[in-house]
Amino acid sequence: MKSAPLVAVIQFPGSNCEYETARAVRSSGMESCIYRWNQWRELKNSRPDAYVLPGGFSFQDRIRAGAVAAKERIMDLVFSEAADGKPVLGICNGAQILVESGMVPGWEKGRIETALAANHISGRSGYLSGWIFLRTTARAQQICPWLGMTGNGVIPLPIAHAEGRFVFSEENHYRAESSAALKYCDAKGTESSDYPINPNGSFLNLAGVMNEHGNVLAMMPHPERAFWMWQLPPWIPGEWGDRRDKSLSSGSHAAAKGPGSMFFMSLADYFRGER
Amino acid sequence: MNLRDELKEAIRHRSLAMTLEEAEKLAGYVGRMPTPLELHLFDTMWSEHCSYKSSRSLLKLLPTHASSVVVGPGEDAGIVKFTEHDGYSWDLVVAHESHNHPSQVLPVEGAATGIGGIVRDVYCMGARVTGSLDLLRFGDPLGNSGEKTRAICRGVVEGIWKYGNALGVPNLGGDTRFHRGYDDNCLVNVVSLGFVRHDRIVHSFVPAEAHEEQYVLILVGKPTDDTGFGGATFASADLEDESEKGAVQVADPFLKRVLSEANMNVLDFLFERGIKFGFKDLGAGGIACVTSELAAHGNLGIEVNLDLVPVSIPDLPSEVIACAETQERYGLAVPKRIAAEVLDIYNEKYEMPRLFPGAGATVIGTFTAEPFYRVLHCGREVANTPVEYITEGIIYDRDWKPSPASVIEPDSRPCDPPEDLKRMLLSLDGASRSPVWSYYDSEVQGSTHFRPGEADACVTVPIPGCRAGLAVSGDGNPWIGELDPFLAGAHAVGEAVRNVVATGATPIAATDCLNYGNPEKADVFWQFRRGVEGIAAACRELGFEGEDPLPIVSGNVSFYNQSSQGGAIPPSPIVAVFGRIDDFTKSTDISLKTPGDLVILVGERMDELGGSLYYRTCIDHRGGRVPAFRGKLEREMALFVLRCCEAGISKAVHDISDGGMILAAAEMAITSRPDARRGILFDTDEMDPVLLYSETPGYLIEMSQESWNAIESKPGFLSVAGKVTDEFSIAAPGWKMDLLEILEDHASRLDRIIWREEITE
Repeated sequence: MKSAPLVAVIQFPGSNCEYETARAVRSSGMESCIYRWNQWRELKNSRPDAYVLPGGFSFQDRIRAGAVAAKERIMDLVFSEAADGKPVLGICNGAQILVESGMVPGWEKGRIETALAANHISGRSGYLSGWIFLRTTARAQQICPWLGMTGNGVIPLPIAHAEGRFVFSEENHYRAESSAALKYCDAKGTESSDYPINPNGSFLNLAGVMNEHGNVLAMMPHPERAFWMWQLPPWIPGEWGDRRDKSLSSGSHAAAKGPGSMFFMSLADYFRGER
Repeated sequence: MNLRDELKEAIRHRSLAMTLEEAEKLAGYVGRMPTPLELHLFDTMWSEHCSYKSSRSLLKLLPTHASSVVVGPGEDAGIVKFTEHDGYSWDLVVAHESHNHPSQVLPVEGAATGIGGIVRDVYCMGARVTGSLDLLRFGDPLGNSGEKTRAICRGVVEGIWKYGNALGVPNLGGDTRFHRGYDDNCLVNVVSLGFVRHDRIVHSFVPAEAHEEQYVLILVGKPTDDTGFGGATFASADLEDESEKGAVQVADPFLKRVLSEANMNVLDFLFERGIKFGFKDLGAGGIACVTSELAAHGNLGIEVNLDLVPVSIPDLPSEVIACAETQERYGLAVPKRIAAEVLDIYNEKYEMPRLFPGAGATVIGTFTAEPFYRVLHCGREVANTPVEYITEGIIYDRDWKPSPASVIEPDSRPCDPPEDLKRMLLSLDGASRSPVWSYYDSEVQGSTHFRPGEADACVTVPIPGCRAGLAVSGDGNPWIGELDPFLAGAHAVGEAVRNVVATGATPIAATDCLNYGNPEKADVFWQFRRGVEGIAAACRELGFEGEDPLPIVSGNVSFYNQSSQGGAIPPSPIVAVFGRIDDFTKSTDISLKTPGDLVILVGERMDELGGSLYYRTCIDHRGGRVPAFRGKLEREMALFVLRCCEAGISKAVHDISDGGMILAAAEMAITSRPDARRGILFDTDEMDPVLLYSETPGYLIEMSQESWNAIESKPGFLSVAGKVTDEFSIAAPGWKMDLLEILEDHASRLDRIIWREEITE
């Protein structure tokens, strides 16, 4: 029996967040290994407990961001593992790949039911990096293995993307809410569709979308870049700002965990509960 | 035709930058009429860009030696010792270049290639690249060439984010300045940095082992095309018009990312096997330069077969294949016996040919004991020259003529602090740079501690698990440059040092890029000379490790930043300084924290407002006495700031530069937490422009009253300026400036002018 759960981080050509993502997994008490896009056999043989598709620009964002990677052979494996209930997380470009492979929202198997469109909102279009605030939906906290410990509080995380606007066709609007996992809000927790609270014009202020069972989560913000308290900007307001100040004054700043750690710690906790 | 006429004709017909005398020298070396390939190769090697022929004699003035220096100027990047961690020594690798001409002509591609080129210089020393920054100088976006300037600015920022973000190298800020002297010549200076284990430094020459064993040359990356043919020559002439777009290269961050991953794998493989190798990126002069330099610096010859070079355009002439500056390529010198294994890593493991048509790794040359540079193409010999000449270079002693600006002070200096502060906060140079930074990914790699704007320098924690932090800042003030070229050099060092010191980091190395007009003009060459002398003087005074100076470990000279109408840019020496803080958690940002704390002024204010933001923005005056460079005082102030940081008593530190003490104070307030807004109440009711606006170097530090009281024997350069308040304002007895009312304007000013083209002036 394996001593700790193994989380596979998949490297596509053009991925660029694989190393820090793998470190975040390891710092949460799990094992992590990076698999190259053409190492599907090795990936299969190592039988991971969970999968992460990291951020980057896989295949140069050819056609659409994530579209080519979604068709790679290695994704067939991830697809079937997800169908078996294994936890899968896509971050930023990873989220785009999950959307392009039809794994989220996944209402009908293999169909592409949402898209991550180019950022567009009154106030700002185009690539945007900065810090946003979000909250986890109640349902997602219950069913998503990546969100069990996130609670009801406001979570500050960084974003860095040009195509992060979740859109659905009109006939699916009614059921989009059921797949909502993470929603943009202001620093006090109030949802808003105004820029910059909603940074990209995303439908229902969605920052993250999950599948029906909650085991697959596609999120645009980068939790691995907020894993440690020291990664937070000095100006972050609210509870996490207070926690940051406290870790600084108490001398525990280098080791204190930040809001992004909750996503990975939740998974570790989920595996503890499972065993 | 005799040889002389033939050479003359070749120079004209091929648009070479070399002089007839230089061409004759080359003909003498080869003992015949040079081949086209030889002409283009030497045209590149002897270009100003590659040979530093005008600048080399003066660059000797710069201090480049210090006990911390591992590799000084001369290779692709400079290396200094950084820290010990986990039983290994880690070194910092830095490079600094300009991509000015290409960015003026094709802003997106020019700026993108700027990053693409500079990161290769760091990668090829064996390092992992962990940051880049751009130092940008644009014309006046509201001036006569405003429309063009705004388009260039947007294009340059787009090129930077499209390349850097995709490559996955965090952008660590840099700076952006506007001056109408750049209307026809923008400056795009790029700095890149990375880290390498000391025992894994790679050099850019074929190793001595190649004298014993057969070595081959592997070319890897993008298939060769005709882009960038003549690029180095293009960078070494006045910018005439935009017909020279063909000399600009096309960058590809996707291919570079895959290539970098594959390179890392190849380097690991070679080190694990204990195999000695040489590694060099392809930049100016393409294949011709990389092959000849790898051989020449290793005291060997090489035979290159151009028929083996993968190309994406058929039937290219040999000189184009050999000298085009197609991006995303490297040359690797390895023993023949393991070449196949190396090719496998690139072509099979990382599938480069599948990911990008024509890309991959190929053996294209063989190192030879005979010291000749031979190139074959279509069964013919297209170059054959002794290697020693290729790297020999040439030197010119240029004439110089002093042309100092006269010092003219304004007749009166009205002072209305709230109004003046507002003007400065909304000026082009005083407005927030966040619209620019919002396009840059500053956090990829997960090691960023302070992003641009949060502290005086970006701070990262580049070695996972190690507490050593790196701080980096790049600076250079054109408004000082146009008034005093010596002080422009000295203050470029001084300000970059202050920015690094303000975070609590000790400066350990510097790089420079010297941007000037046409060096053949005596007044321009004098500006250059004074700039170098200024940098050298400041570096000698601002060393922080024992008796050593602050070493300049890498750099670049960019001449001919001059339009055909004759207008040269303001003298623009730009300096980047790199610092180390042993425990990054002690580093300080600029935001005000606790009401009731004292605001300490470090550095007495002097009446030297020449070139200041106040003169330019508030009373429309250009000229005046520029702040003196006081090296000894500057160093003492820096040591005081570092001691405060080490003792943990400084809660916020901001250096005083543009806009003087009042603007520094406002920036410290603006960066405070939105749910805990802070401001400053100055003690004095004196409305004195010298006190409030002088840009005499200095710092503001927030510390508690108790900490202040506990400082024994306070140096004379310290005074209490005021107190931190819980009001979002900058105030003094008698006046007050509410910051909330201009906050949004200050933040969005550049966005509205540059991106939304909301021109109200």
